[in-house]
Amino acid sequence: MRRALPFLLALSLGAALGPRMANAQSAAAVLAQGTRAYDDLEYDNAAGLLRRALAFQGADALAPADADRGLMYLAATELLRDHADSARAVARRLVLANPRFRPDELVFPPQVLTFYEATRRATPAVISRAPADTAIRPGAEALGVRLYASTFHDVTATLGTEAGRVVRTLYAGPISDSLDLHWNGLDSSGTAPPPNGRYAITVTSLDRQRRVVRILRLPLEVTQGRVDTLPHPAPPADSLLLPERQPMRPALRAFAPAALAGVAIAVLPSVVASGENATGARFVVGGTVTAAGIVAFFSHHPGRSIPGNAAHNRTLRDAWRREDADVARRNAERARGMIGIRSGAPVLLTPEAP
Amino acid sequence: MSRALALVLLGITSTAQAQARWNLSFGAGGGPEIAHSRIGTTRERVSGLLLAGEGVATRGRFVARLRYGQGRVTNDTAGRDVAEGEALLGYKARPWLTVWFGPHARTFVVPGQSDRRWLFWSGRVTARGSLLPGRVESYVELWQGVTGSLSRPAESASGGGGEAGLDLRLARHPIWGRLGYRIEQGRASGGARRETVEAITLTVGYGY
Repeated sequence: MRRALPFLLALSLGAALGPRMANAQSAAAVLAQGTRAYDDLEYDNAAGLLRRALAFQGADALAPADADRGLMYLAATELLRDHADSARAVARRLVLANPRFRPDELVFPPQVLTFYEATRRATPAVISRAPADTAIRPGAEALGVRLYASTFHDVTATLGTEAGRVVRTLYAGPISDSLDLHWNGLDSSGTAPPPNGRYAITVTSLDRQRRVVRILRLPLEVTQGRVDTLPHPAPPADSLLLPERQPMRPALRAFAPAALAGVAIAVLPSVVASGENATGARFVVGGTVTAAGIVAFFSHHPGRSIPGNAAHNRTLRDAWRREDADVARRNAERARGMIGIRSGAPVLLTPEAP
Repeated sequence: MSRALALVLLGITSTAQAQARWNLSFGAGGGPEIAHSRIGTTRERVSGLLLAGEGVATRGRFVARLRYGQGRVTNDTAGRDVAEGEALLGYKARPWLTVWFGPHARTFVVPGQSDRRWLFWSGRVTARGSLLPGRVESYVELWQGVTGSLSRPAESASGGGGEAGLDLRLARHPIWGRLGYRIEQGRASGGARRETVEAITLTVGYGY
């Protein structure tokens, strides 16, 4: 029993740590194992590993390019395992995630390439690229949104409110590889920008029977008069400003020697000749010296304003205020008639299976 | 040792000579002087007027000062003439600080008795502070006798003193004035005799 105890403890520890150790393996490492298994023709093992690699979420998830590669390997694996439906579902997932993805012809066999090509052609979808934050002058400038398509198909693109009301139709027609959408910032009347609020560019992909197969929603937030502004000038640095009042220090420095001499006269007898009754007449001298110090103190006019310095500082401050007001005016001019547009993350919806 | 000191002094002097020229200043004035004498338990207080003159020569950082004063101090029962003088050499260690060394003597002359003279070789320090630059300065001077002697009775002596006051200068004129208070005390080595002298001096002078 005593010999069995360490073994049981080790077993318990292994059981407790085992899953955690397995999780510690990164998604990229699992993906590498999966592709190796695919190369070794171990398709069952490859399918399991690739699904595990693609299942990682959040910060541990595969990078977009690795995820595309993983999906392509998984689609090929499923196809070569004769799981055509599963392969099609995986390939469609890849097409919707990245319509521009093309498999490597040196890596995958022709039957896989043909299968993926067929799936891509049968899966019309678009993705969009738009500036995250921009400002345009409605009517004179335009917001540009680039669409990338998986295959040639028809699309309609509209700008609408959150509630779904169409504000402006941007495009209706075919798309092959890519397409630039432009919105000039005006509503359906073509005369004024829409009011502030949340909008969305909706791109609807249609199949040959004009049925809606995919909807891309790109959320936009429109703000009137918001624009990148010129920076305001910094106020004049302290080093450039001159003191506007006479400082206290020179006055004190003038008074200090007199005060010291006055005190010295008062205490000299006790220092030099202690025990003697020194004449009180010395206080006349000490008082005179101290009075001279007071006169010197006030001759420096401590705390009195210095008109020249005040004028100098006023000139600097006025120049700064003028410049600041000028920047504010120019910013206001720039902002007049401008709208700010902030775009969110696009969402791809599939209303029904094609 | 003395040769090395002489060489150093010569070097400093020649450097200073190369840098500056002589400035001379003369002054004359006077004021009340009070002398307190204590011999054992006997005390005596005499006062009177002292007239004095002085000359100061400056070259670079070096200063030489000569002062001589003469007068008569009396009380209800006694009187005596007094003469005092000093010859000091100084060095301006800082623009506001001068250190001095030299002899300093005071003689009381009583008719029918031999003169009683206090003689000290003293070291001094004078500090100056400007109240109004170039116009008004205050000063404090302290001295301590390095060695000293009293002539009657013949004894060695020790002593020290101080002076403080105000220097004024006219703008654009080499005329100056000084109001000062001075106190000094000499003590004979036996301890029986002690003499304290106070003076208020008003001096007017010419020169820089």
